[in-house]
Amino acid sequence: MSSELTITAVTVLCLLGVALYGLLIVRNLFQVIIALQILVKGALIALVLAGKISGQINLGQSLAVTVIVADTIVAVVGLALAVQVKRYTGSLDVKNLSTLRR
Amino acid sequence: MDIQTLANLPVFLWLIWLPLLWSPVIYLVGRLARRRWATDTAVARWIALIAILSTWLPFALTYQEFKANGVLSYTFGTITLRLDGLSLLLATAVLGLSTLVILYSNAYMHRELGESKYYAMLVAMTGVMVGLGCTGDIFNLWLWFEAMAITSYLLVAFYRDQPASLEAGVKYLVQSAVGSVFVLLGVALVLAQTATLDILQIQAYVAAQPDSVALLAAGGLFIIGFGVKIAIVPMHTWLPDAHSQAPSGISAMLSGVVIEAGLIALLRALAPLAGTTTTWGTLLIFFGILNMVVGNLLALRQQQVKRLLAFSSIAHVGYMLIGLGTAVYFGEVAGAEGSFFHLLSHTMMKGLAFLSAGALLYVMHTARGEHDPLMIADLAGAAQKYPIIALVFSLALLGLGGLPPLVGFMSKWQILVAGFETRSLIMYGIVAFVALNSVLSLAYYAPMVNAVYRKRPSTAVQSGLAVPPLMTIPLVVLAAGILLVGIWPNLVSGLVQPAGAALMAAFGG
Amino acid sequence: MSAWLIILTIGFAWLGAVCVWLAGDKRPRAQHTLAVLFSVAAGLAALALIPNTSDQAVISLNAGSVFGQFTFVPDGLGVFLTVVATVIGSLAVIFSVEYMRGEAQLGRYYALILLFIGSMAGLVLTGSLFLMFVLWEMTALCSYALISFYNDDPKAVRGGIKALIITQIGGIGLLVGTLAVYIYLGDYQIDTLLAQAQTLPAGVLSFIAFTFLLAAMAKSAQVPFHTWLPDAMEAPTPVSALIHAATMVNAGVYLLARFYPAFADVAGWKTAVLTIGLLTALLAALMAVVATDLKRMLAYSTVSQLGYMVYAIGVGGVFASQFHLLSHAIFKALLFLGAGAVIHALGTRDMRQMGGLRTQMPVVSTTFMIGAAALIGLPIFNGFWSKELILESGLEGGPIWANVGTLLGAGITAFYAFRMVWMVLFGQPQGKTHVHDAGIPMKTALIPLAFGTLTSWLLIGRFGSWLQATLPYEQLNVESTEEMLLAIITTPATYLALAIVALGMVAWWQRERLTGLARSLQGVGRAAANGFGFEALNQGAVSLTQKAAAALQVTQTGQLNWNVLGIVVALVVVLLVLAGV
Repeated sequence: MSSELTITAVTVLCLLGVALYGLLIVRNLFQVIIALQILVKGALIALVLAGKISGQINLGQSLAVTVIVADTIVAVVGLALAVQVKRYTGSLDVKNLSTLRR
Repeated sequence: MDIQTLANLPVFLWLIWLPLLWSPVIYLVGRLARRRWATDTAVARWIALIAILSTWLPFALTYQEFKANGVLSYTFGTITLRLDGLSLLLATAVLGLSTLVILYSNAYMHRELGESKYYAMLVAMTGVMVGLGCTGDIFNLWLWFEAMAITSYLLVAFYRDQPASLEAGVKYLVQSAVGSVFVLLGVALVLAQTATLDILQIQAYVAAQPDSVALLAAGGLFIIGFGVKIAIVPMHTWLPDAHSQAPSGISAMLSGVVIEAGLIALLRALAPLAGTTTTWGTLLIFFGILNMVVGNLLALRQQQVKRLLAFSSIAHVGYMLIGLGTAVYFGEVAGAEGSFFHLLSHTMMKGLAFLSAGALLYVMHTARGEHDPLMIADLAGAAQKYPIIALVFSLALLGLGGLPPLVGFMSKWQILVAGFETRSLIMYGIVAFVALNSVLSLAYYAPMVNAVYRKRPSTAVQSGLAVPPLMTIPLVVLAAGILLVGIWPNLVSGLVQPAGAALMAAFGG
Repeated sequence: MSAWLIILTIGFAWLGAVCVWLAGDKRPRAQHTLAVLFSVAAGLAALALIPNTSDQAVISLNAGSVFGQFTFVPDGLGVFLTVVATVIGSLAVIFSVEYMRGEAQLGRYYALILLFIGSMAGLVLTGSLFLMFVLWEMTALCSYALISFYNDDPKAVRGGIKALIITQIGGIGLLVGTLAVYIYLGDYQIDTLLAQAQTLPAGVLSFIAFTFLLAAMAKSAQVPFHTWLPDAMEAPTPVSALIHAATMVNAGVYLLARFYPAFADVAGWKTAVLTIGLLTALLAALMAVVATDLKRMLAYSTVSQLGYMVYAIGVGGVFASQFHLLSHAIFKALLFLGAGAVIHALGTRDMRQMGGLRTQMPVVSTTFMIGAAALIGLPIFNGFWSKELILESGLEGGPIWANVGTLLGAGITAFYAFRMVWMVLFGQPQGKTHVHDAGIPMKTALIPLAFGTLTSWLLIGRFGSWLQATLPYEQLNVESTEEMLLAIITTPATYLALAIVALGMVAWWQRERLTGLARSLQGVGRAAANGFGFEALNQGAVSLTQKAAAALQVTQTGQLNWNVLGIVVALVVVLLVLAGV
């Protein structure tokens, strides 16, 4: 594997690591959604990378574009939920979002 | 695309497109009608009913064609859709349950503001799930899966002014999104390794070069990614929240078909990788046991009816996973058939349980605009006032508990037979443990049945309203199904056997 | 012909269940009438089966895939138990017309009883192990639902669920045994198992034999699974008479008798069966001695008598056990229904609140005493002949200590039965002083049963030859009525047994003199009242499960971060497992 590919692969892993770590510690709902976005970005680059490795760059990129579309919808729905959460509970702290338990 | 090509398209595509085409129509007409006649939104619910009923026509034709010709497939460009026994099973469960849920929601959702959105999403979800079952490549599998997730987020958080409902929606969204990223990573690994996304081509690749760390990791990522949606322990934590907070019709859909769709997606993704290791079967059995134990124990101490039912879904996924694991590991076709039979019977029983609990919730709380959960204590004496609902609810619960002559018993039996057919001592032990768990589950189903038949009604029952007649029809239909298939399991063998064969073919290669 | 009769027997009962439910609780008269009509119809259809027995399957349906053939075989054993279930069932329903008058939710009550009668008939008639398991569980379901019929009483709810769980745990035995039969023999037919048992690998056969024994122990309330039966006494009394004395609890004995030819040679099986039976007979009899609740006492007595039947099978006396099953079904149903009449009149189940009813309820008292005499085993009554037959089989096939044990049990039985009659019928009235005798429906049920208790033993020879003719695998050693009765009368053991029975009764007369002995037995009494610690074992298991569940609930934190951690943990575990391969 060329150094170019290695660097990309490491980037993917870093993005995933940062995002997962974020999901485990952040408490603000918006930050949670940002962490999710970083996670998806990691996957995006992984897809492009996979296209490159398998010699099908076009395929990898077209997959990535599709993922961007789907992911944007998820982000929009997530943000809409966050807005509603802020409106009806008055807080964005995910610690407060734990009335459903046990 | 001219008329000629359109007419030549295989009929099973209509099974997917028709609901997807109807969905925006429902939304737009519903909104317009609402703008025109400010209070009346009845239009959406009737169009939705017409939409779902119209889908039965392509279904019937597809069924005939499948019976005559076997697997149906269609390719445009690089995308392949393939309808095999597994797809047909999922399509039947989805279409059947969503028809009943739409009929049921007619009264249940009738005072809600977002009715048009609700039906549009529900019908779209139906089409998406049928598509999910038919997909022939793993990226499209992800796409359908994601589409299903997005429609269900909106439906779970339907009561968007209720904090609890929003909370459930947020947790569901975040966990599902994380899971879906893992699926994507798996897809990327498979693509990098095999240079293809088509399931059959991946299978051919694996047959030639079975030793691949990347594919092994991809399989693991698939288990985790789809596992979130299937509620495999310990990724199940969103399920009790989402299933209990959604409108009851949606709870029925989520428990009855969405988890199962996730399961089928997992099987589709894992099947071409079967040749890499035998651990897949072990993992499925391991998670099956874990799900069964955790689901049953957590359900044991619940006081909210819908939350209890949600935990019981986790346990039932466990039974299915054990059957599938037996099929994958030992090559026992009975395990696959048993699991798919259980999938169908769980669709019927859990659908009925959620819908009938929902009917009680509706007459006691929702119809007055209250959002209190339905507690077990509220059930007391419900039989006095609502004899039919009480009866069908009890049938659903006892069926879930695996008592004959209800369908849940028959499907569990088939899974257990498969376990014994392996003639492995460990599997004998697992079978006995499954049976023990099934007995344990009675410890939380039975008290609800007892409560329903108490003589002294609870205050909630006393002040309960009448049940809308349209709401009882789907309940009675499901109850009849539970009884009939329970007495004569051959009724569904036409669906279950091709599905089992399809799975064995996919994994056996 | 027999095919139709089987369909009619089961069909009448199940159709009746639907009709009664449909009649609705607003029309109790219609419900009573329908229930009686359908149960009597089922009984008549079952009686018509007697001359139409056969050892071949007369109904056979292919249920496909792993469910095998659904077959029904009207052989002697099956038809005999069907007749018991349906005839005693219809008498219990007739009794209920008076007993349950004015109660709410009659639809559920009768529907479940009729569903039970049909299921019980099916259970004993079917030739398929799978179907047998299905119906086995259905009878458990009906039993549970009827025990908790008074759902507002937490004790009834607890009793019902306990019965359900314990019999289901035993049911697991039948389940795995049946699965093993299916896997190794390729189908579920009982005949296949009986014919090919010896071709099975020895380990598999003994696995099947012992799992079936487990199922039988739970269903027939054998030690240590017996604790559910006394708690099942929260059911309405006709239900106790029908399900928990005359029919369902016999299913375990039936199972053992049915498969005796296949399992008799399994190492240790017969010894296990006779030990369990004897232990149950003795322990339950001791518990009956200290019980004060009339129905619980009868329940212990049922457990004890079931122990005798199981013991009889263990010593090879299949015929004796089935004959005692017949006698016991009749006299115990009589005792329970008589007790029901008393409880209905007095409104209490506590024997210390009873007494002096002999003059006020003459019909009930007379029939009750007939039942008690049969339980004690006084000559002429049916219990005498069948119990002596069991003791005789014990002499032939059982070890000495077991014979001593059974004789001791007979003495204790006489003691507690006498105590019961005394406390209920004689002495001074304790509670209500003015009570009415039973009405017509109750008498209609009691009198035929009393008649049966007096005469059913005359059928011993015909019963035996009938069983023998249709059970090709059993070797029953039956002779004509006269010879068998003569054999019983001329055996010295019979007189020894009678002497011990008399001793038991004398002990009750002299109970004040025996205070020293009584005090020394108090410890046993207390242990007996607590079910010899088995109850604690049950409760331990329950509380352990509950604690585990409570501990597990902590993992459901409801917090997003923890939820995501779950996913990460699962990922790590799965990848590690895959890497380890």
